[in-house]
Amino acid sequence: MQGEETEFWPAPSGFSKVGQLWRLFSFSLNCDNLMDMKVAIVQLSPHLGLLEKNLQLHQNYAEEALRSGAELLVFPELSLTGYTLKDLTAEVAINPWKDPRLDPLKDISRKIDLVLGLVEENGRGLYFNTALYLSQGNILHRHRKVFLPTFGLFEEGKFFATGRSFQTFPTRFGRVGLLICRDFLHYGASYLLFAGKADLIIVISAAPGRGMSAQPGFASSQMWELMGEAISRFSTAFVIYCNRVGFEDGVVFAGGSFIYDPWGKQIWRAPDLEANLWLIELDLEELRQARKTWSFLRDDKPEVILHSLERTIAKDED
Amino acid sequence: MKINPEFVTRIITSFLREELKKLGFDQAILGLSGGLDSSVVAFLAARALGPERVIGLILPYGDSFIQDTEDAQSVASLVGCRSRLIDIQPMIDAYFSLHPTDNLIQKGNKMARERMSILYDYSVREKALILGTSNKSELLIGYGTIHGDMACALNPLGDLYKTQVRELGAWLGVPKKILQKKPTAGLWPGQTDEAEIGLSYEELDRILYELVDLRRSRQDLIANGFDQTKVNRVWELMKRNEFKRRMPPIVKVSARTVGHDFLYPYDWDR
Repeated sequence: MQGEETEFWPAPSGFSKVGQLWRLFSFSLNCDNLMDMKVAIVQLSPHLGLLEKNLQLHQNYAEEALRSGAELLVFPELSLTGYTLKDLTAEVAINPWKDPRLDPLKDISRKIDLVLGLVEENGRGLYFNTALYLSQGNILHRHRKVFLPTFGLFEEGKFFATGRSFQTFPTRFGRVGLLICRDFLHYGASYLLFAGKADLIIVISAAPGRGMSAQPGFASSQMWELMGEAISRFSTAFVIYCNRVGFEDGVVFAGGSFIYDPWGKQIWRAPDLEANLWLIELDLEELRQARKTWSFLRDDKPEVILHSLERTIAKDED
Repeated sequence: MKINPEFVTRIITSFLREELKKLGFDQAILGLSGGLDSSVVAFLAARALGPERVIGLILPYGDSFIQDTEDAQSVASLVGCRSRLIDIQPMIDAYFSLHPTDNLIQKGNKMARERMSILYDYSVREKALILGTSNKSELLIGYGTIHGDMACALNPLGDLYKTQVRELGAWLGVPKKILQKKPTAGLWPGQTDEAEIGLSYEELDRILYELVDLRRSRQDLIANGFDQTKVNRVWELMKRNEFKRRMPPIVKVSARTVGHDFLYPYDWDR
């Protein structure tokens, strides 16, 4: 269990340490079915600018997830540093290949795969908003955020360098693609993961809650879910979206993490605003089932897309 | 412009809990006027922190607003928070007997700053963080005293229009009498916000919502039937009072300057 200081303080009401186990489609069809997978999602509120404290928080959550039987644990965007960093960006940056402070988390990744967010320094003075996939004690993949929101209340372009690629990579669960927050709202990014034959699209996020109505919840949460439904359905892939909670300088982060299955069906959604860890079981056989019915993946024509894009870019009309 | 009062309450109470913890405080303190805004903040703070960790200071000028003082006391007892009454008349009279004026606004501003000064003093005495009570309508048109009632450590109502604060207050159980009271800055007897601003809060909030939240232009509003004089008045008030919403500009002479390119978050290392 995580220590006292890591809790969302004091607990609003009926605050459980480990959320409910969500058991889903568990029928099996034949013996070579793809396996089930247990994923843990954490909605946490990192300490802004306090890397060491957040590393400890990550270790605590990883141990808790491991005890509950999770095989993959997903943290939100910039989970090791907090979001509203401004001039702290350089101060909390680390080189994840060299910095020994990441070793305890790499060690834990021998038992449970981890996705987390941090500020990456490339050794030559550039800072990236980065997501890491840790597995078997190593960095299996690194994604640098490409679409850095810089408008209204967002200032990422002032402090971060831009990532330049979207790639999928093999894991023990299938092909995975990582996106960071705003990346997911540019649907071209998801297309590239689809073209890379992603089975799981994992989005880590620090999305503020915005927009009110007479209904509970944020208008902005509906926007994320709309994209989650569309991308999962038309990519015939799982979409795992992990958003943070808590407040920074008055801005509230919405929570409301979710998972869509390859049919575009929402199979789990976290409550808004609540700091907690949940365990969700995914039936990976649904990937094959969905692709038997919907042949989007088989019928994709990336070379046509590429040539058309090249022509569009060459024209470059406003 | 509708809100969901229960959801908004969840956000604001979580905000108060989390920020107090980050800043290392156990208690919150606020000025209770007997009006809507401070009553709503008292209700929210008591929900967030427990009433025993909320202190309401009631700071009347003599007994010129005796009814409001009584209402403030009834709010304190209703939410169950501690309260203390301090009459600011001796301090105000001492100053104005030496530097007399007939200007009611000047007197009112002085009173607002006296209340601020006492709140900050009691913040230290009680180790309690000061909660502001300015709402979005007031902040946008600058209807408040800079370094007076606008001064605070945290502002829980600053993104809610006055009419939304009333909706929230009704849900929280703020007494009807206070919900229906004519809003007043209490600068002099008989003063009302709406008479001074020249618009009802319903009209003001609608115009502000269109201009600010929906980013519509003044021309659009007027073309859609909003009163031209009122729209322009609201726009002028917003523009003229930007200074109340900002830290004062610092003239830049060095390589790195506070407020320009020395940029750290408020919640730095929290």
